[in-house]
Amino acid sequence: MLRSFVVGLAAFAIALGAQAQTIKIAILGPMAFVQGENHWAGAEMARDEINKAGGLNVGGKRMPIELIRADTNEIQSVPDATNAIERVITRDKADFLIGGFRSEAVLAMQEVAMDYKKIFLGAGAAHSKLGLNVESNYERYKYWFRPTPPKDVDLVRANFAALGSVAEQLRRQLGKQTPKVAILAEKAIWVEGIVAASQKNLPAMKMEVVGVWQPSAVATDVTAELSAIERAGADIVFTLLSGPVGISVGRQMGERKMKAIAFGINVEAQKDEFWQATAGKGNYVSTLDTFAEVELSPKTIPFVRAFKARYQKSPTYNAGTYDAIMLLKTVIEQAGTTNADRLVPVLEKISFTTLTGVLEFDKRHDLVWGPGKITGIAVQWQDGKKVPFWPPQVKGMQPFKLPEH
Amino acid sequence: MLQDILVTGLVNGGVYALLAIGFSLIFGVARIVNIAHTAFYMLAAYCFYALLVKTGLGFLLSGVIAVGAVTLLSVLCYRLVIEPVREHEAAVLIATIALALIFQELMLFSFGGHYLGIPSTLEGGVRFLGVSIPYQRMLILVVAAAMLTGVWFLLYRTRLGLAIRATANDLEVANLMGMNVNRVAMIAVAISVALAAVAGVVVAPVFVVDPFMWLAPLVTMLAIVVLGGLGSLKGSLIGALIIGYVEAITVFAVPAGAYLKGAVALGIMVVVLLARPEGLFGVAFEEER
Amino acid sequence: MYLLRRGWAELRNEVFVLPSRTLVLAWVIALLALPVVYGDPYVMRILTMTCIFAIFAASWDLLAGYTGQVNFGHALFFGAGTYTSALMSLKLGLSPWATIWAGAAVAFFFGFVVGYLCLRLRGSYLSLATLAFPLIALGILFAFPDFSGGELGISGLRRLAVTPTANYYVAAISMLVAVFALWLLADSKVGIVLHAIRDDEVAARASGINTPRYKLMVFAIAAAAAGFAGALFAHYLRVAGPSTLEVALSFQVVIWGIFGGVATVYGPVAAVFILYPLTEWLGSFRAFGELRLLIFAVVVLLVLLFMPRGLTPWVRDKIETQCPRCKQRNGVWRKICRLCGAALQPEVPGAQRLVGHQ
Repeated sequence: MLRSFVVGLAAFAIALGAQAQTIKIAILGPMAFVQGENHWAGAEMARDEINKAGGLNVGGKRMPIELIRADTNEIQSVPDATNAIERVITRDKADFLIGGFRSEAVLAMQEVAMDYKKIFLGAGAAHSKLGLNVESNYERYKYWFRPTPPKDVDLVRANFAALGSVAEQLRRQLGKQTPKVAILAEKAIWVEGIVAASQKNLPAMKMEVVGVWQPSAVATDVTAELSAIERAGADIVFTLLSGPVGISVGRQMGERKMKAIAFGINVEAQKDEFWQATAGKGNYVSTLDTFAEVELSPKTIPFVRAFKARYQKSPTYNAGTYDAIMLLKTVIEQAGTTNADRLVPVLEKISFTTLTGVLEFDKRHDLVWGPGKITGIAVQWQDGKKVPFWPPQVKGMQPFKLPEH
Repeated sequence: MLQDILVTGLVNGGVYALLAIGFSLIFGVARIVNIAHTAFYMLAAYCFYALLVKTGLGFLLSGVIAVGAVTLLSVLCYRLVIEPVREHEAAVLIATIALALIFQELMLFSFGGHYLGIPSTLEGGVRFLGVSIPYQRMLILVVAAAMLTGVWFLLYRTRLGLAIRATANDLEVANLMGMNVNRVAMIAVAISVALAAVAGVVVAPVFVVDPFMWLAPLVTMLAIVVLGGLGSLKGSLIGALIIGYVEAITVFAVPAGAYLKGAVALGIMVVVLLARPEGLFGVAFEEER
Repeated sequence: MYLLRRGWAELRNEVFVLPSRTLVLAWVIALLALPVVYGDPYVMRILTMTCIFAIFAASWDLLAGYTGQVNFGHALFFGAGTYTSALMSLKLGLSPWATIWAGAAVAFFFGFVVGYLCLRLRGSYLSLATLAFPLIALGILFAFPDFSGGELGISGLRRLAVTPTANYYVAAISMLVAVFALWLLADSKVGIVLHAIRDDEVAARASGINTPRYKLMVFAIAAAAAGFAGALFAHYLRVAGPSTLEVALSFQVVIWGIFGGVATVYGPVAAVFILYPLTEWLGSFRAFGELRLLIFAVVVLLVLLFMPRGLTPWVRDKIETQCPRCKQRNGVWRKICRLCGAALQPEVPGAQRLVGHQ
């Protein structure tokens, strides 16, 4: 009687102990906002997929994934973000960290993660400084990797590639040999390099730059800029906008029935809510984006469809947390351990098929950009729908539309 | 370019005038620096959005209900939150800040942090002097002018207006003369917030609506009120036009420096204050015992 | 030995006689003993930030409570300290221990300038004008992104100390020293002059006090303290960004100051120590963490309705009474004043004392 009791107790204790063996992944993001919601959604999809298959295989032992939801509130407060990351590391004992959005906050969070030597996978901030840190002080920052998005410099290259494609269409359809481009970039440090590069590259691409306008990132009225752009006779408005000014641009261009086409980076235009936010006026606005129902890799279309079915909206690039977790799964199973120091070299050499292409890391632990690897896509809003149109050779792409002239 | 500046400055100035005059009124009568003023403006915009998009009432009805609801809410807040702590200026101050934060978080919680667009009341535009002006902006101008005229009429041609002006001039003597200063203050609050709510309803289709939209107009409005002179309605109007034009000039004349328009407007305010510490039309208040 | 006896006598006669002073002593001891008792790095991080913000809040109170110059742009000095210390530390390679003082010095200068510009402004004009300065500074910072790092700020700064515990002690001891210094200043003759300036500047000037000099001095000192806090902040977070100049931070310190009780110096410190960990704790809940700001605002509003003069005056009134004759404070349980022997409780039970400033 006593013996069976002791055996039962031991079995219970072992079961408890076995249950406590999970891999804890903390998802850090501004959970009250779209970015954090997407962080969490992508992560949930990955967790459910992995746990349904039995969990991760760590050197022979099967361990499920446990997600820790950490609201960094980084949009409103940078110290809140560092508090959150410290909390998930020391209190919740997270093994891996994924997420981040606001570059200023991610830089601060990176410091904390590196202090504790935890692997931190970025899923939101594109600033190059995060990768530069890896290069300048490898031993300290080697635990940082950025599976998404491409660093700001590479976004430029995508921009020019897609812009060339748009210009080509303008030449064909409208007969304009040298389309006029107005650069409309928000006043922010991330655009400085791109603006300078544009002013040099666009003439070489047989386009004429008619002016540079820099509204504030939170500007709600771009009448002044648009009036001046109209007067300069621009055919393309090359947008470098990450804040709500992107909505104002889309809406006011539509209200003025401008003939010019807006293309570039317009982060607000990547969201489903853009159409409603522009009150249906944001037609023809195009931007670089990450996800669409096109075959960037065999995983893309099933994921986007499953995401839409589960959450009733399209994923933004922050849902790349899915890729981050799948990447972790691959390297952990390959290395047979969760030890950060042993995983770093595996991550550095990996070639992994993600939702948007093939992921490899360069020496700054940023993703390698290029055809055959990851390029991102470009989408255009056509009558309330986001239609992907670039790169044209990928299956599922549709044609780019110009406004009536 | 000159026409652009003229028109844009006028429209923006009109919007700012709606906000600034309301703020000045509250300050003049009740000596309250109402940090939540633009938060009511935001609430009206959200209310308008909700009524328009979710219930499909017409523009006019939604607008009127939104303005009415927000005005009622403001009177409620005044009775519950401000009046108990009226004597403690400092407490009133952070009470209004706290109210603004509460409204912001409630909107964030109910509608999410992303940007909302309200369909324009009037579509299309007109070309005037080579500048294309959307009808919505002309509507803003018309409504602003109408409201301002209405307020002027109320203040200078009615007995209630007389009471309000008297209370603003000297609270104690007005009380001695038999005016119910508490009620007058409450009415002033209602009028002031109604103005802000009208601004929210009429301006929201032009701008984007998000829970943080109250911060930027707050700063500009404060700059205007200070520039024009706290408590002076004429000063607020003129200050609004000045700042509206300064911003338009900054944006049109220096396209690469458009982001500086806020800083320039504030800089002008500081310069004016150096020269005239009470603002352009303000009256230096007697030390109140 | 003599020092010990003297110390004990001082404690018994000066500190333990008043509950508020005893509380302060207990708090200081708890603060210093925390890492020994409970070494959780997360808790230490929260308290380090609290200490830094406490210096910031106390400096605001000196300005707003004592001279009546309610500053709505105090974040300017905080940000000035942050950026100065960060730039000097990064570009010139100086040790953070040196650049912190540079940050405080630059903030001191900014305080002087702002104070000078605001000399002729009164009351609400001053408050609203000060709101403009951090925003103008932000515009300038964004205009020179190569210098200031634009919206990203400056990153990769060095810490003051290596371990979390050491950082905590640096912050805690700095806070204790700074707040005590500010309190001493406020409690001295200078403090009386400041009170006079707040209550009636015309009368103060008529009495021969050079009010502009005092106002400028207070602006500069408060700014220096805020800049010091900002520099500590930069080196703790290792990032110095434009978030330190935001309007939200200025409003936050106003809330802390008034919530805690203006013109007390220790009031805002108490407010920070209560409100900051509270909001952080609320934010750690997965279910309603996103509501933390809402709950914070509601708490502030409710407390304000019941304690309009702030938290600490209310608490002090509950645990202490003021002697009607000699105006010194006594524990509320006492029957006669500890200094002059006057009766503290009314002779007729239930009577209320209508005279005497509480």
